[in-house]
Amino acid sequence: MFTRTRTLLFLAFMVILSLAIVSCGPRSQSAGTEQSITPDSTSSITIVIPEDPPSFNPMVADTGYDSLVMELVLLGMADIDPYGNVFPELAAELPTIENGGVVVDEDAGTMSVTWTMREDIQWSDGTPVTADDALFTWEAITDPVNGSWIPGIDYVDSIEKLSQYSFVVNYNTLYPNYLTQLGGEQIAIWPAHYCDLEQGFIAWDCGREPLSDGPFVLHDWLKGDHMTFHKNEKYYLAPKPNIDQVIVRIVPDDAVRKTMMLKGDADIDMWINTTVAKDLEGSDVVKVSMSPTDRWLMRIFFNLAQKGTVDSSATPHPILSDVNVRKAIRSAIDIDTINSEIYFGLATPVWSEFFRPPYQCNVPRPTYDLEAAKALLESSGWVDSDNDGVRECRGCSTGAPEGYKMEMEFITYPEFGEPLILTQQLIAEMLSDIGVKANISVVEGSILWDQAENGGIEQSGNFDMDIWDDGYPGIDPTDYIWEMYSQEALVPGFGNNVMRYNNPEVDALIDEAYTLDEASRKETFCAIAERLDEDVPMVYLFTTPNAEAYSARIEGIQSSVNDMVTWNIADWTLK
Amino acid sequence: MTAYIFRRLLQTVGLLFFLSVILFGLVNAAPGGPITAYAGRRPRPEKIAQLKRQFGLDQPLPTQYLYWLIGNDWTTIDSNGDGIKDSAGLRKGVLRGDFGFSYRTRKPVLEEIQSRLPNTVYLMSVTMLVALLIAIPLGVYSAVKQYSSFDFFATTFSFAGQAIPEFWLGLIFIIVFYAWLKNPWTGEPLLPSGGISSLGSEFSLSDRLAHLILPVVTGMLGWIAWYSRFIRSSLLEILPLNYLRSARARGLTERTVVLKHALSNALIPIVTLIALDLPYIFTGAVLTETVFAWPGMGRLYYQAAIDRDYPLLLAVLIIGAAFIILCNLIADILYAYLDPRVRYE
Repeated sequence: MFTRTRTLLFLAFMVILSLAIVSCGPRSQSAGTEQSITPDSTSSITIVIPEDPPSFNPMVADTGYDSLVMELVLLGMADIDPYGNVFPELAAELPTIENGGVVVDEDAGTMSVTWTMREDIQWSDGTPVTADDALFTWEAITDPVNGSWIPGIDYVDSIEKLSQYSFVVNYNTLYPNYLTQLGGEQIAIWPAHYCDLEQGFIAWDCGREPLSDGPFVLHDWLKGDHMTFHKNEKYYLAPKPNIDQVIVRIVPDDAVRKTMMLKGDADIDMWINTTVAKDLEGSDVVKVSMSPTDRWLMRIFFNLAQKGTVDSSATPHPILSDVNVRKAIRSAIDIDTINSEIYFGLATPVWSEFFRPPYQCNVPRPTYDLEAAKALLESSGWVDSDNDGVRECRGCSTGAPEGYKMEMEFITYPEFGEPLILTQQLIAEMLSDIGVKANISVVEGSILWDQAENGGIEQSGNFDMDIWDDGYPGIDPTDYIWEMYSQEALVPGFGNNVMRYNNPEVDALIDEAYTLDEASRKETFCAIAERLDEDVPMVYLFTTPNAEAYSARIEGIQSSVNDMVTWNIADWTLK
Repeated sequence: MTAYIFRRLLQTVGLLFFLSVILFGLVNAAPGGPITAYAGRRPRPEKIAQLKRQFGLDQPLPTQYLYWLIGNDWTTIDSNGDGIKDSAGLRKGVLRGDFGFSYRTRKPVLEEIQSRLPNTVYLMSVTMLVALLIAIPLGVYSAVKQYSSFDFFATTFSFAGQAIPEFWLGLIFIIVFYAWLKNPWTGEPLLPSGGISSLGSEFSLSDRLAHLILPVVTGMLGWIAWYSRFIRSSLLEILPLNYLRSARARGLTERTVVLKHALSNALIPIVTLIALDLPYIFTGAVLTETVFAWPGMGRLYYQAAIDRDYPLLLAVLIIGAAFIILCNLIADILYAYLDPRVRYE
């Protein structure tokens, strides 16, 4: 019989089964050995990020979250502050020509950099950090099988140990970025006695359970949930850090992260967008830190070669190969309106590649002038003779056939988020005001930037115009400028000159920038800036702020485009 | 039946092989490969070449599939890019339980899955059990009281449960139970915003339950709607049948007629339905896990897809497909077992 008793028994069984599952549910399995417990007396902060760091080694996947946690536990030879100043970490002082740390062989065009390390830094197991660790790290990075390519790796001929705390790096060229080659936001020095070279730089276990010489040590890591760090009692700047514990919680949804911040359950939300930054304005409990300088410059890339081709000389673009057209497009974009309408005034208008320290050039800001833009197009042979709102070629100089419509594809990528999509739409509307029809499309970044042989849109030249944010890491733009604007870099797969911009004068200037003479470099970069302003291979628009939301109870936070927000976590204090 | 099961198992092997070819091809045919994801937006050619070697993408696609399936430890490969095949491969292949390493973490794929699978099984099994506990009586009562106020309410609730997006509902729950409502004794939020348990606390059943409430309620509404509707319609088909009329004529109470004679037959298709839903216990729920910061398989899969982490993506897909095929087989067997009229020979 199906009785009330049996029904109750069945329900009881189901409830007990549910509770049993709950009781037997997963426990915290961690990199550490013990469950993290926060005694009331300890000071603790919580950082919320949307995804797990892949490891503590940013050279593996470069998500930014790996750099965030790397800064907690590992040091490099030198790092960069938010204002672009390089400061020593493991190094006793920064090697320069003046202090004899850098020796240049002018005839050979080579240089040697001698690093002298601090002698008071040790790993959390008490082993001193020495030149052996630096050499071990270099050996691991350069391993052809399990190593990783890093900027300037090809410029290094050899690294030699001079003493327990010094080593010399021999370069086969003059490399202006030598100061952060073994530091910055991506490279740390790894412990030779702890990491297993056989496992390889990119895969070794110490990349997930690192030994620390930074301000904190990893205590436990429950994948996908949280990481707990405790104060490193052996930190060389003791009694710093001033905070006892850091918890990094994985909270994928940005609305939940914001709610947690406002409720006081989270102290730092990394990389907030302008909408969240605006929402948090006026909050008493949550503040926003913005980097004093920006890195990611929103820009429109022009393809100077015909769509689908990669040679701007042999097959010039029927519309964009005319510099006056490019200038007209630049004049027709009202950046201030974009800023106020979409970015709440938090973006910064920028009109030169060299806009941040230490290389800032006084290029005059282009004016937003619709009439001047129209006049430029008229004078270049682009007129709207049939009054359909779109200009046609009537004697234009680009080689386009008579009657060729001024209609182009305008691409962007979705990963940036809604503000960029709106920006693209607004710019397309602005261009329609001067008779340029921009057909907007959105393509995933991985397709936009893929290699030419995989059908990558930019590399294969299969675009007219696209808009996205780009910029160089660190403070040395030399390699970036070479990759972006040099003639050698316009070959698909060899560089990033996807505009197929070709100016021998700029090529010569780029070569001149490979020097250690800072005054000369500044002059050279500003000369390049002037040429680019004249040639307009792209339109520089604005930068968006690198911003973090942080609890008002923390003091000492300063966002940085040169590093993660945790770059100076040892100095933070709690009110 | 034994012959049938044996035949189905053989078919399963063939089907899995076919699926592996299709999935491997589809994943690799997706535009935008993993190199851009891991070498950065503007990678140097040297870095691209190095990553291709490390990921095994320097081989033609059929060779990549072969290595993925049976490994490459039987042959030599060019591991350092000098053009000479000078070292033995290290991969054992899927057939020997080696799903490769994650591009993102460079850890074995199975380790990644192992770290997430218990969390998903935990959440989804509780969700399913609670959903069934509610859906079965709801469906039965709706059928027995067809067109009553309760039936209309349950029907409305069911359609709403299926229609409301989990993502939205989860956020609303967080705003109400985490941001607005407070525990009157402690002043803390009434329920946590997410995670499996409170950080830094010892294991406690009440803490676990508190963390389960919102994700379980969010996830179970759809299932309650689905199962209760199915039970209702299944029971409605059975209730007018003659054998139940005979039971009533013999003097059995309506309660016994419904719960013993009608429900036992109505539940047969439900059991198979549950068997077909079992793979969700492995694959998880992306949206629920995302909103409630639950470190489960759904998020792992989503992240792998976003990151173009092909080995991890393929492993989740293949294992998920194997679960689905297996659960289909279980459903068929159960159906035959529960309903003597069904014979497969």
